Amino acid sequence: MTQNINKNKILVNIEIVRGDVSKSINYEYTKRSEEERPMALDVLMQAQNTTIPDLAFRYGCRARNCGVCTIDINDRPRVACRARVKNGDKLSAIATLPVLSDLVVRRDGIPRQLRGLKTTATGNDLNVEAPKEYHELTACIECYACLDKCPMHAKNFDKGITNKVMEDLPNPEDGYKYGNPFSLLKLERICLDPLTSDQGKEIAIQKAVDLGLESCIACPGCKCGVGIDLKGKVIKPILERAKDKL
Amino acid sequence: MSINIKWLEYDVIVVGSGGAGSQAAYAAAEQGAKVILVSKDPLGSSDTKISEGLATVRESGSEDDSEEVLSENVKLAGGDLPLKNITDTFSKYSKEAYDNYRMHGLRPAINKEKGGPQSLPLPMGGHNRNRSVGHENHGVAFGHANWDSVIKEKNIDYIEDAWFLDVIVEDKQKNEEAKKIHGGIVYDASNGVLLAIKAPAVIIAAGGLSTIFFPKTDTMRGNTGDSYAIAMRAGADLVDMEQLQFLPFCLASPPSYEGLLAGEPSTASYLGVLRDKNGKVILDGVHLRTRAACSEAIMRAVADGRGSPNGGAYLDMTANKKLPKSGPYFMRYLETSLPTAYINARQALGKEAAKVEKVWEVRPGAHYMMGGVRVNNEGASVGGTGEGSVKNGINGFYAAGQAMGGLFGANRLGSTSLTELAVFGTRSGKSAAKYALNIKFKVNKELFIPYITEYKAIFEQKGGVSATSLKNILQKESWSKIGPVRLLEGLNKIDALIADLEIKLKNVSIPNYTIWNQPFLDYMECKNMLYSAKAISLAARKRDGSIGGHVRLDGKNISIFSQPYSTVVRKESNTTFLVDKLHRKRTPIKELVRYKILEFKRLMEAKILLMLPKSIQDQKLEKRYKAIMSVNGKAPELMPGGDEAAIGDSNRA
Repeated sequence: MTQNINKNKILVNIEIVRGDVSKSINYEYTKRSEEERPMALDVLMQAQNTTIPDLAFRYGCRARNCGVCTIDINDRPRVACRARVKNGDKLSAIATLPVLSDLVVRRDGIPRQLRGLKTTATGNDLNVEAPKEYHELTACIECYACLDKCPMHAKNFDKGITNKVMEDLPNPEDGYKYGNPFSLLKLERICLDPLTSDQGKEIAIQKAVDLGLESCIACPGCKCGVGIDLKGKVIKPILERAKDKL
Repeated sequence: MSINIKWLEYDVIVVGSGGAGSQAAYAAAEQGAKVILVSKDPLGSSDTKISEGLATVRESGSEDDSEEVLSENVKLAGGDLPLKNITDTFSKYSKEAYDNYRMHGLRPAINKEKGGPQSLPLPMGGHNRNRSVGHENHGVAFGHANWDSVIKEKNIDYIEDAWFLDVIVEDKQKNEEAKKIHGGIVYDASNGVLLAIKAPAVIIAAGGLSTIFFPKTDTMRGNTGDSYAIAMRAGADLVDMEQLQFLPFCLASPPSYEGLLAGEPSTASYLGVLRDKNGKVILDGVHLRTRAACSEAIMRAVADGRGSPNGGAYLDMTANKKLPKSGPYFMRYLETSLPTAYINARQALGKEAAKVEKVWEVRPGAHYMMGGVRVNNEGASVGGTGEGSVKNGINGFYAAGQAMGGLFGANRLGSTSLTELAVFGTRSGKSAAKYALNIKFKVNKELFIPYITEYKAIFEQKGGVSATSLKNILQKESWSKIGPVRLLEGLNKIDALIADLEIKLKNVSIPNYTIWNQPFLDYMECKNMLYSAKAISLAARKRDGSIGGHVRLDGKNISIFSQPYSTVVRKESNTTFLVDKLHRKRTPIKELVRYKILEFKRLMEAKILLMLPKSIQDQKLEKRYKAIMSVNGKAPELMPGGDEAAIGDSNRA
């Protein structure tokens, strides 16, 4: 296979999913110049504009800020707009959430976990400075790369998620039962916020426990898509806050 | 398999989950209304999230700031097109609306002496006072606050992956004063159903239309003009639709970076020039030119066949770099004044270009729609003459954020868009809730039937065309016909193309699966893009001279001393569109003269500098850089789209 590689082409494999039928399509990306090193998103856009016009994928800003274009490249989650592809790469939907179509997953079971979790009291003094750690956590772009290999999140799909059949999966409408690094980041951020009341912090810590925080005790740690130190800045502090409840 | 219908009932529907939508939903829920928020992208993933994260907060900096000073600043920046009661409202509520954001978790640095958010130390982006407040992690921090407003604080019902298709409007009845809203129809792609939502009020906060062009800046893909298309199909007025902000210096290659910002006129610095493919200078004094003038120079070269390989021109800043004393200062200025743009350029163009040892290939990119749905200062749809009235608008129809028009006119100050969505998001939410809770009529289910029939049929449409291919054609043609520069001939051509694509759209093949039907989504977005392109074309035709974001190569520059007017566009029937002029009140001549004199002085100073011998030039520039750079060798940050980043656009009197 290696001897005949066309310098102006990159051959990738795209996973197509429609209903309960899934198949793999070979797509040959045509480079605009010999030096071009395309991102995964360029490949998907060209495929949609040429031979797979009904290809489904998400994207937004093309500059690694909006967090919506996350896909798996060779089974690892990457932000597609800033992940370069090479010959033979496999592009598929992230493996940690149910697939709606092709590379599009249903995301809302994650944010819905925190619905109605009101933790800020009215009438607070707004003019209190937030600590440095607070701002470290607002760098999160919600790309959901951190769901990869998370044992807590995996508990939501005890029958596996790879069969791609929606009916066998937990209903996202009320939020998934078990948490993930993103939800814990949101909860730790609440605890770091100077405007959160003591009662609000208590609510946030209890929520972390209810989402299955105990899974984090024995876990070697999670990986952030944009470089936030999840283990040091989220998991450790929240385990410490919740130590009497675990 | 036919798509199923699910009926729902609410007081208020909010379309869009960015800054305007989230704040509107929160405010409406706070009033006790039953609210549903509908978002096609994941919750909060909007232009707010990817913005520079600077907000205008009145009196946060300068002691002598006031409601009047800020309001006039916004109005003059907009070429006198904005409505005074809207700029007054913006100014009056900028502090309060910003504090709401802080309630939802936005945490600026605090000025302990003043007891408020810390503003940046300089008046920026065309502002005449210090009042811009920056935030760690830029727009992403706003994204978190938007998310929290909807999900955490208020437990608002929301659906993402849901495309709002159309509002249900009832025509003016006998004994009644206006048209009114009865709800909306939505495609819920996650569950594969059409939602028929009964509601007397709908707030459109679905962002802009930059995606009808390619290339465009990093603005979200979802900006397919949904806001304007929904409004047009409902029969609402749109204002200033020719006023679209293009940033002239976006990257032309490689494809992954195409359209992303590389610089602004100011960052070209004192000796930056534009060249065509033969190396001939096509524009000098770039740092003092308006964005429109830079775009015009590039587009003229392209039209004459003197453009660069990727349809642009070359930004040559090497003269700045070469001077021995001031050169190193220039490099620091370039690296620090617009860091995101510099990083884009370095990644895309390579090391040599990043060191400014060679020229940068650039072309204009579509960025921000300053016009939009014609509303009053509560975000409610208005129509008729002058400032318009609600009885000539559509009762229950609201718009906020980039969707609304009337605040920015022909240009906008930096850091105002985030404040605008806080102010008008909140106000429209409050106003819509009050309206919905006090209506005297019952929502009529029968009115939904024709819409349901229409959309059900589209889900079974047969044909041989893909909507993505039609989108691509429109993006390419919009660029040259209703893009950074316009000609009557091009407007005629785009109108013919739109008519042709509308016919082809009826021949788009839509498969019959119901969950995340990508061809249907592309069909719908293409339809909205066509409506928005039509609105721009009509407005651009009516305004036959150049002002602000609108450049007519076949027309004159519209003098700031002439009688200002806004354009208004409306769909009258399936085949007829109406376009008209709305006269605006002019700012007193004295103010305008002061501005003109300052502009002339600036240009003369630049010309004198260029005539000096190199060594003296170098000394003078070194002194200038030193004056603007802080102790740590950093330049004050500029805002993409802000006035400071294009001094020629500044209206600071």
